[in-house]
Amino acid sequence: MRHRQFAIAFALLCFGSATQAEDARAAAKSSASDKPLYTVVDGYKVDADTLQGFRTWRAAACDRCHGANQEGMVGPSLIESLKTLSRDEFVTVVRDGRLDKGMQSFGSDQRVMDNIDHLYAYLKGRSDGAITRARVSAIE
Amino acid sequence: MKQTGNPARRNMQLLAAVLLALPGLASANADLKAKIDNPGNWAAQAGDFYNQRYSKLDQINKDNVGDMQVAWTFSTGVLRGHEGSPLVIDGMMYIHTPFPNKVFAIDLDTQKIVWRHEPRQDPSVIAQMCCDTVYRGLAYAEGKIFLQQADSTLVALDAKDGKVLWSVVNGDPKLGAVNTNAPHVFGDKVITGISGGEWGVRGFLAAYDINTGKQVWKGYSVGPDAEMLIDPDKTMTWTDGELKPVGKDSSLKTWQGDQWKIGGGTTWGWFSYDPALNLVYYGTGNPSTWNPSQRPGDNKWTMTIFARDLDTGVAKWVYQMTPHDEWDYDGVNEMILADIKVKGKDTKALVHFDRNGFAYTMDRTNGALLVAEKYDPTVNWASHVDMKTGRPQVVAQYSTSKFTNPNHGPDVNVKGICPAALGTKDQQPASFDPNTGLFYVPTNHVCMDYEPFEVEYVAGQPYVGATLSMFPTPNSHGGMGNFIAWDAGEGKIVQSKPEKFSVWSGSLNTAGGISCFGTLEGHLKCVDAKDINKELYSFKTPSGIIGNVFTYLHKGKQYLGVFSGIGGWAGIGMAAGLEQDTDGLGAVGGYRDLQNYTQLGGSLTIFALPNR
Repeated sequence: MRHRQFAIAFALLCFGSATQAEDARAAAKSSASDKPLYTVVDGYKVDADTLQGFRTWRAAACDRCHGANQEGMVGPSLIESLKTLSRDEFVTVVRDGRLDKGMQSFGSDQRVMDNIDHLYAYLKGRSDGAITRARVSAIE
Repeated sequence: MKQTGNPARRNMQLLAAVLLALPGLASANADLKAKIDNPGNWAAQAGDFYNQRYSKLDQINKDNVGDMQVAWTFSTGVLRGHEGSPLVIDGMMYIHTPFPNKVFAIDLDTQKIVWRHEPRQDPSVIAQMCCDTVYRGLAYAEGKIFLQQADSTLVALDAKDGKVLWSVVNGDPKLGAVNTNAPHVFGDKVITGISGGEWGVRGFLAAYDINTGKQVWKGYSVGPDAEMLIDPDKTMTWTDGELKPVGKDSSLKTWQGDQWKIGGGTTWGWFSYDPALNLVYYGTGNPSTWNPSQRPGDNKWTMTIFARDLDTGVAKWVYQMTPHDEWDYDGVNEMILADIKVKGKDTKALVHFDRNGFAYTMDRTNGALLVAEKYDPTVNWASHVDMKTGRPQVVAQYSTSKFTNPNHGPDVNVKGICPAALGTKDQQPASFDPNTGLFYVPTNHVCMDYEPFEVEYVAGQPYVGATLSMFPTPNSHGGMGNFIAWDAGEGKIVQSKPEKFSVWSGSLNTAGGISCFGTLEGHLKCVDAKDINKELYSFKTPSGIIGNVFTYLHKGKQYLGVFSGIGGWAGIGMAAGLEQDTDGLGAVGGYRDLQNYTQLGGSLTIFALPNR
């Protein structure tokens, strides 16, 4: 209970309208279509595609540099980065890497490239504050 | 005495080396041995072949160390974690850095840079070393400095001018096979390993000729007997209370199908050598992946202590500490060779403080298991090591494998495992003090939650398969480290000094009765070897210390030094677990704190007593 209150308070403070009332469903629209970029319930239950994004994040071991909660370690905080990075810029960085800064290229990693939209949705949801914890599960 | 390139002398040395290399004869490198025997030098990373990290120098001692002052400092110009230490040979200091692996030769008379070397390496290797670009140091022999680059290239430099004499490629960084270890010279060979257990790299130890760079042998950690240089009939292991041959296919039988090909067992630690036995000792790392439910079996010979013949590479004995690893407890920590009393009996011992929280005392002549005890009482993943089978008794509650605990496995978060994957000790090497007969051990006091998950192997990509969060050991002193004095003959902690953060710095003991180590906040500390709770000296260096303390003489005066430069897994560990929404603030507070003490930045600080 305590964390939940904390998470919501945090989201409201930082992102205002990005999350809705406690039991409502948060959904962010992607600009290209009417399909929401991600759908989240209770802060951690997500749609199948976003869940796939989380699994991609985990399988590619992004947490080794960006932190178990995307908060940043050797690599930058993705909570912060995705506030300014556009979707296209995100795809470019993941595909080509930033070798001088230690970000590897995932262009040859089929599992990452096939799921790049889902990965973006998951991380954008984390950055927006709508997904309130790193470990997500499926909407039942 | 200056090192010379005198050909006659070289030939003599070569002749001596050839003679010594004859079967049955010891083959310590005569030149290197002479350099090591002069306590004014620090001619090898541990100061000697035995990994003792003990110096006979006694000008700086327990009575005057409190007066010690900074003599000079040197910025390496490189950020990131600075592990290992410089070498000092006959008035010249050789300094290494993390990636890009610069080397500086500094004349101790003038503190002038005599030569520098910066290898050109593809920056993509940085990402293959995620998450830090540490490098643990250089080796020296016969007028050559040996540099092990991150991109796996092993290079011999002329110690006089830094000119490249030869270089050889040791692995394929595109597949994640990179290097962080220091090369070690034993006899006429330079020994190196490989990193990349989180990329599914198959580990090996390799020996190269110091004069030509030609590979002499290469022994894999896992796979077919011939490729491991294991003799099924002659390589021995502790079995049912005695030493028995490992038998045919001892590794292959413990893996499912071809999994051994991406099976890990990498070799990035410190190596040691007993010239009398002509054996090289080292440990192998974790099996890949970190999700144990994907790789049934003992996964031999990962997590194993190896003793190999220096000339042939053939394994004389092996001992697996953590069969079917479920926690990333790499077995790579240093093997310290010391002649001590074990349970009252004079023993040629090998002492090893493993990541898994047990300290092992072995008979290094044959691999007999003598002592295996916890060196942090909070270790909980196993109740004890069965001295007959040599196997740890795993506690089901802390198992992360479906094969050990049917209720656990992929996507089950196992909580409160001690120690964390960092281990009760990681690579930070311990010291042995022959005056007290005790081992001085820098340790971590950190526990973890561990959630494995299914992962597919993709060549050249991380192959991890577990999410971890780490926190200070609960219900303890609140700190994340201890500095301990250990009796390896009895398997007992003699004293334990709590530290706020993990002690991730290699310690040094000296004939002056002191034991010195660095802290993650950046303090260089010296304590009384007979009472380690008596802190005799503390000085705050520019950054957190994960380097190893070393000492040398210059113009008859003793100096003591250490790298500072926070980073490495300790630096990552400090950030891990931040903002964990399932944790109370008390648990994460400790890690957050480190940012209030230190920032990145590599430098060397050299200490001395004031001139009177």
